[in-house]
Order: sequence, then C-alpha cells, then structure tokens
Amino acid sequence: MAASRFEGKKDQTLLLLTPAGLKLTRLLLVGLGKAKAIDAKGAQALGGTVVAQLQGSGDAEVTLAVDPIDGAALPAAEIAANAAFGAKLRSYRFDRYRTKEKPEDKPSLKKLVIALADQSAAKKAYQPLEAVAEGVFLTRDLASEPANIIYPESLAEQAKKLAEIGVDVEVLGEKQMKKLGMGALLGVGQGSERESQLVVMRWNGGPDDQAPLAFIGKGVTFDTGGISIKPAANMEDMKWDMGGSAVVIGLMKALALRNAKVNVVGVVGLVENMPSGTAQRPGDVVTTMSGQTVEVINTDAEGRLVLADALWYTQDRFKPQFMIDLATLTGAIIIALGDQYAGLFSNDDKLSERLVAAGKAVGEGVWRLPIDDAYDKQIKSEIADMMNVGGREGGSITAAMFLKRFVNGVKWAHLDIAGVTWSKKDGPVSPKGATAFGVRLLDRLVADNYEK
Amino acid sequence: MLSRLDQNSFKSEPEEVLPILTEQGWRVLVGIGERAELTAPVLRRIGGALFAELAGLGIVHLGVGLELTPEQTAELAYGIRLRAWRPPARYRQKPDEEKVWHLSDVTLLTRDPAAAKAHFDRLDAVGKAVHFARDLVVAPGNVLTPPAFVAALGGIPGIEIEAIDPKKAGLDLLQAVGQGSAFAPVLAVLRWRGAGKKDKPTALVGKGITFDTGGIDIKPRLDMEAMKGDMGGGAAVAGAMMALAARDAPVNAVGIIAIAENMPSGRATRPGDVVRGYSGTTVEIVDTDAEGRLALADALAYTADQFHPAQIIDLATLTGAVEIALGFERAGLFCTDDALAERLFAAGEEEDEKLWRLPLTDLYDDAIKSDIADLRNCTWERGPDHIHAARFLQHFVPETVPWAHLDIAGMSEADEDGPLAAEGPTGFGVRLLDRVLG
Repeated sequence: MAASRFEGKKDQTLLLLTPAGLKLTRLLLVGLGKAKAIDAKGAQALGGTVVAQLQGSGDAEVTLAVDPIDGAALPAAEIAANAAFGAKLRSYRFDRYRTKEKPEDKPSLKKLVIALADQSAAKKAYQPLEAVAEGVFLTRDLASEPANIIYPESLAEQAKKLAEIGVDVEVLGEKQMKKLGMGALLGVGQGSERESQLVVMRWNGGPDDQAPLAFIGKGVTFDTGGISIKPAANMEDMKWDMGGSAVVIGLMKALALRNAKVNVVGVVGLVENMPSGTAQRPGDVVTTMSGQTVEVINTDAEGRLVLADALWYTQDRFKPQFMIDLATLTGAIIIALGDQYAGLFSNDDKLSERLVAAGKAVGEGVWRLPIDDAYDKQIKSEIADMMNVGGREGGSITAAMFLKRFVNGVKWAHLDIAGVTWSKKDGPVSPKGATAFGVRLLDRLVADNYEK
Repeated sequence: MLSRLDQNSFKSEPEEVLPILTEQGWRVLVGIGERAELTAPVLRRIGGALFAELAGLGIVHLGVGLELTPEQTAELAYGIRLRAWRPPARYRQKPDEEKVWHLSDVTLLTRDPAAAKAHFDRLDAVGKAVHFARDLVVAPGNVLTPPAFVAALGGIPGIEIEAIDPKKAGLDLLQAVGQGSAFAPVLAVLRWRGAGKKDKPTALVGKGITFDTGGIDIKPRLDMEAMKGDMGGGAAVAGAMMALAARDAPVNAVGIIAIAENMPSGRATRPGDVVRGYSGTTVEIVDTDAEGRLALADALAYTADQFHPAQIIDLATLTGAVEIALGFERAGLFCTDDALAERLFAAGEEEDEKLWRLPLTDLYDDAIKSDIADLRNCTWERGPDHIHAARFLQHFVPETVPWAHLDIAGMSEADEDGPLAAEGPTGFGVRLLDRVLG
C-alpha cells in the first residue's frame, strides 16, 4: 500500500489483484478521508466508486465490507444503506437501443453484497432510498429516450403508469386546455402533429385538509426552436428539453413508493415545438390562461410559455402551499452557473433556504439568483402585456421574471436546470448522460420539511 | 390645477417630474411618494430625475421647496450632483446644440441650511469623485494612455502616488499584457493614510486596461471602441481614493491599479506563451484577450506581499459572461469571506450600486488547468467564464486575507439613461467602496 501511495484520502482508490492469502479475485480499497467528515453523500460516492471501478472487471459479484467507523457521525447501517444507494444510482445504464453490443462490453457486475453486523437496520434505511433510486431511474429513462419514442402523448402514458402505485393521474388534451384558455401552451404545440397534453398527478399521503405541495415541469419533448429554428449542431440534445417534466414524474414515483406522508401534486405541460405550416410565428400574440397576453418574439423561448399556463392552472385549481417549477429553460444559465449549480429564483426566502440546504445534503447544488423588478423592463412589449424574451444579458433572470407574472403571489421557486440535466462526464453517482437532477433534491426537501 | 393634474395623470410617485409653464414662469411638480419611504436612494433618484427632466428645458435657476429634513434635502441635492455629468467639453470643438443645459444652479430650501450643507459636503466629496471616475472611463484610448492615466492619478489631491515598473518589480504577467503596446505598462500605487500607522490598510485593486484590442486574439471590430472603458475598475479605485482624501476619511487605504494597453504587435504576447507571475505561479496564456485576470493576478499578489492589507477588494470589467448571468442591474460578487461579502452586499443596496454573490468553489477548476503550466487563463469552452476568472484570481491571493472580487463588466457603463447617470460611464464602484470603507 505504501508503494502505491494509497493513503485513504477521499476518493482515492487502489485495486489489487488476488493478494496472497485471500480467496478473492481482486480487492478494491476506497479512501473515505477523515472519519469525522463521512456523511451520507460520501457514503453514496463510495458506492458509486465501487460500481464505476468494478462494473467492467469481469466479476459478477462484489462484496462491500462496512464496519462501524470510529468517530464517524454516520452509523454503519447508514453508511451501508447510502453506499448501496450510491452504487445503484451509479449502475444506471440506458442501452435498450444497442442490439449488437458484445457481451464483454456489457457490465459484468450483477450483484453488490454489503456485509455488516446490523443488517436489518441497514435494510430499513435503504428502503426509502431505493424508492428514490427508482424515481431517478424513471427520470433518466424518460430524458434519455429519443423524441420519436417520447412525445406528449407517450410521455403522458408513462405518467399514467404511476396509477399502479397509487398516484391519481389525469390527462388534459388540447380540447380541454382550449376551454381553460391555455393559449400560451397551445401556441407552442400548434406546429406539431402531436397533440399537446397537460398531466396532473396527485399523491395524497397527507391529511385530507392539507394543502398540497406543487411541482411543475416543463415538458417540451423535442424543441426544434419552431420557426425561430435552432442551428443544426447538437440539436439532438433537445430531446431532453422535457427534463423538468421527467423530474416531476420521477419525483412522484419516488414519493409514492416510499409512501411519503404528504399531499403532492405534479403538473407537467407536454408539447413538441416544431416548425410547420401551422406553427406559431415570431410576433404572434397569445392570451394565457391568466388573461395576460404575450408577444412571442422568439418561438424558441417556448418553455416559459408552457410553464406560464401550467403555473397559473396549478395555483388556480390546487391552492398549493408552494409551487416549485423545474425547466431546462435558458442557455444563459449555462453561462451563469455552468454545470455545477442549478439556478434558483424565488419569491420566498424560507423556501429558498430549504432548497439550498436540501441541495447541499444530496449533492445537487442550487444557487440563488436575483429577481429584482429592475429586470422587468427587459420584457416590456410594444403591443402586448409582455414579450417572451428579454435579450441575452441576464437571460435566465428575465425568464424567471416572466414566470413570476403567472404565480399569482403564491410562494414559488423556479429551478433552471438547463446546465445540470445532462452531464458530459461521469459523476460520483451518475454516469454521463441524464442526471435526473432534481429528484433527490426535491425528495429531500419534502422529507426534511413537509412530512412532520 | 387639479383637473390639469388629472389630465396629466400625475400620480406623485417618486421620480415623477411635471414642469408646467404658467404666466409666472415654470412651475414644477415633483413626485415623492410616501414620506415614510423617502430613503436616501429614493431621494437621490428623485434628484437625478429632477435634473434629467429640467436641464434642457430652459429653466436657468431652480428653487426646490419640499418639506424635507436637512439630511433629506442634502441627499436630493446629491442625486442632482450625480446626474449632472456629461463628457468633458474638450472632446468637441462646438457644444452639442441638442444637449444644451440651461439649468445653471439649483437652490434648495431647508429649515437648517448649516446641517444640510454639512451633510451635503460629505456626499459631494464622493459625488465629485464619481465624476472623476466617469471622466477617466469616457476618455478615448489615445488620450488616456498608460502614462496619461498615471498623470491623471497624480493629480488627485491628498493622495500619494508611486508608479512601479513591472519589469523591475517582477510583475511579468502585467508586463505580458502590456508588452505589445508602444506605452509601457505600469502598476500605480495610491496611498491614503487617515488612521494610525498600526491600522492595516484596506487594499483596493483595479483593472486598468486603457484600451483592450484583445491583443493577438484580436476582438471583432463591432463595438470595439467601447474597449476604451476597460479601465473602469481602475477608475473606480481612483475615484474611491479621491473620495477618501476629500472627506478626510479616518481609514488607511492603498489603491493599486494595474495599467496596461493590450495591443497586437510584433512584440505582443502570443497565445500559448507561458509566463511566471510575481507570486511564482506560472500561467499559460491561451487567450490574449483574457488579459484583465493576468494584470490583476500580479497586482493582487504584489498587494498582499507588499502591503499586508486587512482585506482586498478588486474591481474589474472582467468578463462578458457576467453580463449574461446578471445583466445590467447587478455586478458579480465573488468573495472568500462571508462577513466581507455581506458588508459589500449591504453597501451595494444602500448606495444603489447593487451586487449579487456568485459561486467561488473548486468545482470549476478543470477549466483553468493547463497541460504545461500551473494554470491557464481560461478555457475556450462555452461556460461560466466569470466564475473561472474569479477562481483564477483566487490563486494569487493568500488564503489568510479576506478578498472580494467585483466583476463590473455590465455596470461600468450604461446603454441607456439611468436615475443617477445618463447613458455612458456610471462611475460604478466609487460610492460602494466609499461606503464600505466607512
């Protein structure tokens, strides 16, 4: 070990082949750093590292030995459960469209055994985590699916499957939305052959008289930009422009599977943004469900149009305790915060603090950005109540200012997840690709603050 | 009168100004809103609006009779002072006839003129420093060359100045930025000693690129003339030092301005060049147009080493990315010390020079890893360049010194008229720094 310079530092690993005297093929040492600093996140990273290092090793089974660690804040059972959670999260793979992959290119690892004294405590701790992992996997699947498979109606079908685990699911089609006056959402989808959908999911795990928590997701199943069409390079990434809705659907699954003691409503607006003879044009003015009018300057700033109606509908019908929306909304947020934090915009300090704390706890960081009235002038329209774009500068902020006009004073937070929904490189608990950023964050927010 | 008010829908909201021509001459209605909400920033904005609306109307002498306390009266006058700036006349042979100011003086009525004047004098010292900073920012690149910048700094009353040759002092990063120009780069050190010798100074560090062509990585020509303002951080530092001296502030401060002109030429720095800075850290310069962080890196390291400051605050028109992040309403604040960050944030709110804190963590460090040197100055990948720049700078500040970096690229100049400054240079940072230093 000395020769290998392995000192047990955090994230340091050392893989040894069949050391003499052991009945094993290989031994992996993983550094955890200082005992005091070991937390749930660290234990999850440990599990993730084990999977990352060994899944292609040729071995089918690995045993992780977890003994109580002196001085660690986390008991062994919690370390074990979180390591298992991290391992599960990291083992995700989206390979259903590979028909000719050679067996030796597939992961060999099939089973992770965690050896520890207090197994029942570990199993109990793992149960809710497994539920969350199931939610994360659903979110990742939905975001990874191509847009010829996942479109508004098929995504609504996926949401309907949550009925099997006790979630009430309602789907509104274009006719119903038209009746409700959702001119902004419908305008985005009108260029597509696919019918736009609004899906309402309800999980009633709390008392009957408890106002629900509301989560709203942007679900643009493919975003060409519409008539304001995007450049060709990397346009295929726009299949995950429904990332916000995928998070809401995955979150509903996680909460239902772990039988969360709270009332929650999830609302996702599902549309496909296509250029065609029926598409909306730059300059069109649409009337939202709220009655406010919007001049659509840029048909590629469509997510906020979908959310405008979804937010208004949600507060109008459900009178929720708060609304949190998630959306791959702006390119500007990728410049503002890169791929390390989601942008957080909120009209409520307490809710913001809780989101920041939950993000720190699960390793899905959110960074608050301003929504001063001063930014409002950027979205003033010459003809309607507002425009749907406010220029490059402060682009994420003006998008949030736009949404703020549709929350009707309800406590609200907007998460711009455009920079964190898809990762170009492997992370500790997620392989590259769809991250499902938001599922663990919001599950944690609910668990820590709203289930008492 | 009332019916006329109705027609004009004068709501008496703050910053509303309604001039009415009567047989007795001009009468002006000024909205002040709720008395309880007449804070200093609101009063200043009212003063600014008053000047903006009336300067070219034909009124020569203006009397202001509002029911205000002496302090409130002074704050309103300060707003007038701040707004009443335009580029120095020397850049025109004839005055611009469309923008003539008829207004020559304003008299404010108050019950206690002495108290109002005392309060105003304190503010006016800062107001004049704001004007000085704007004069520097608006100066063309052929007028405010590096030596001319040093000369202008030398004229600040009450401030000691020293000009340091980067070549002699080992400031090779600053030298690398300026070496393509016919004018030698220089590190200007300004000192204000208003407190005891034992009090460690606050260090104010400014980026002073008198013109930024981008160097060999030359910028596109569109709007390049705006790059005469790439010394806005240095101007803010110069203005703050001027304000401290003018009001005899009981503090010690050192102002360090890294002055250079970034030009392409046969002796300019090339992309890929590796340069060892004052601190010993080596930098691969992959983009010669990410030059501000190079100049500041040496300035920060030198400042920490030579002056042992209690805290360091730097200001720079550093990145375009911060404009995408925060637009034109707030400057980016990066800080290693929560208490300093909170003081700066609060001062920004009080002075109407607003900041917003952005992340400063090692999560972003891949972007500034070099294959050949300790650091590279940026990445070509699209992303949060303002955060990368801040992390880059952090490598040149000792961990023990509280440090804040203000990226003022979106704030130093305004594309449209604002309440306290017309379109053009704002002097952003002077009032903020003056307030923070106390």
